[in-house]
Amino acid sequence: MNGAVNTLELTGVTVARGAGPVIRDVSLTVPAGTVTALVGPNGAGKTSLLEALSGVIPVTSGSVTVGGTPITKLSRVARARLGLVHIEQGRAIFPGLTVVENLRLTAREPADIEGALEMFPELDKRRDSPAELLSGGEQQMVVLARAFVSRPAFLLIDEMSLGLAPVVFMRLLPMVRRFAEQGVGILLVEQFTHLALGLAREALVVSSGRVTYQGQAKELLNAPELLHAAYLGGADAPRQ
Amino acid sequence: MLQGALAGLAAGGLYAVLGVCLTLMSRLVRVVNFAQAATGMFGTYVAVWLVSDAGLPIWPAVAVGVVIGGSISALIGIIIGTWLPEADTGSRSAVTVAVLLFLISLSFILFGNRPQPFRPVLSGPAFQVSGVVISQVAIFTVVVAVLVALSAHVVLTKTSVGIRLRALSERPTTAELVGIPARTLSVAVWATTGAVGTLVVAIVAPTQSNDATALSMLVVPAAAAALLGGFRRLDLAVVGGLVLGVLQGAAAQLSQLSVARHFLPFLFIVGLLVWSQRKEVWDAAR
Repeated sequence: MNGAVNTLELTGVTVARGAGPVIRDVSLTVPAGTVTALVGPNGAGKTSLLEALSGVIPVTSGSVTVGGTPITKLSRVARARLGLVHIEQGRAIFPGLTVVENLRLTAREPADIEGALEMFPELDKRRDSPAELLSGGEQQMVVLARAFVSRPAFLLIDEMSLGLAPVVFMRLLPMVRRFAEQGVGILLVEQFTHLALGLAREALVVSSGRVTYQGQAKELLNAPELLHAAYLGGADAPRQ
Repeated sequence: MLQGALAGLAAGGLYAVLGVCLTLMSRLVRVVNFAQAATGMFGTYVAVWLVSDAGLPIWPAVAVGVVIGGSISALIGIIIGTWLPEADTGSRSAVTVAVLLFLISLSFILFGNRPQPFRPVLSGPAFQVSGVVISQVAIFTVVVAVLVALSAHVVLTKTSVGIRLRALSERPTTAELVGIPARTLSVAVWATTGAVGTLVVAIVAPTQSNDATALSMLVVPAAAAALLGGFRRLDLAVVGGLVLGVLQGAAAQLSQLSVARHFLPFLFIVGLLVWSQRKEVWDAAR
């Protein structure tokens, strides 16, 4: 993966939609090769934060850098070229394109496509099928494979489990770990909190647009009362 | 009547090319470009002015007109891409209605409101079969229509640029997130369709009613042709354009139908819309 870029850094990031901020004052460092979990109740602002990082919506205030390069003024395309890849909610395939065509969009080398298809043998069998004809799990595999062949530096993964059977999601989860082992920094938003925390080194809990916990994922995993308090917005100050 | 029908091939080829351009625009940049023919008209008028007033030879003048048509089209693409990148097809298409009216008005201001003194770029018969004459213009437009449709199909299915364009048309935001330069590609589509449209209008205009409004309203039969392919299929857009042209040519030969031929595109559109909605239940369709 892209070794030149080693941290994704957010400093005092606030994101607004319409009338007011949906998430405010987030400071966070995602090092290469680690998973950081971003969890919290629905409507807390997790998706908005990821969308602001990839440029779907603007960052209202604060700074974001990738390997020291400020990115808040960059276009979505420029951010993608810096290695920041956003896996959106809801299986963001290109439905009319075949599996291989979906991968060709981001592959640096043709050999990368074959590597991705080896990683997902299910897709190899259906390489020339339009992605819209695949099952939900296979479609999510296409999205992950497309990210894999782009050789990302950082992955922003938003609710990968959405609409998938748990057994299918469990098949995909090790791929996230594999990405991290290859040096990719991952910011993971996930509704299955315990699975996300089990995978992550660091964790943030956001509730009602503010960070209510920030620290070791393991600590949160081992202290359900802390997790509940953070979900309910009870923790007074973010912890580092 | 056969001679009339074959004479309609020139217009049919023009409808087919413009129909293919409309289909490409609809598929790739989510716009029904009502200014497609008006852009061609304006580029062609500039070419006519360059020949009649500036004394330029016909082909260089047409080349300049094609560049101007492509540039106007690219400019519309930049405007829509800048201010309406995420808007729905209806809103994006509405911009082109404004451009259509603007170009007609501008051509009245710059060139007057009379038909322009076109010098034919191509003229005369190409060949004759059993006494029926096929004109060079008819052959040119039909060949261009088929070539444009075929090359667009090859580019879209076999090349990296084509795959990127299809991805862009399906999910514009996701396409940008995976690093596809949406704006550059969209503007390239606008420029290409504008240039191709201008070229065929410049070739066919001397054989048509060539005032600004009549040329701009060629978008109506072109839309009818594109509608046959559901604004998705290029081959059916070509067929639709040619059939419409031939029917209009044949109708012109019959005195009882010669006026009605102007309404054929509208009848074609209404018929296709009724046909496409034939299985809809009233409530579901709305």
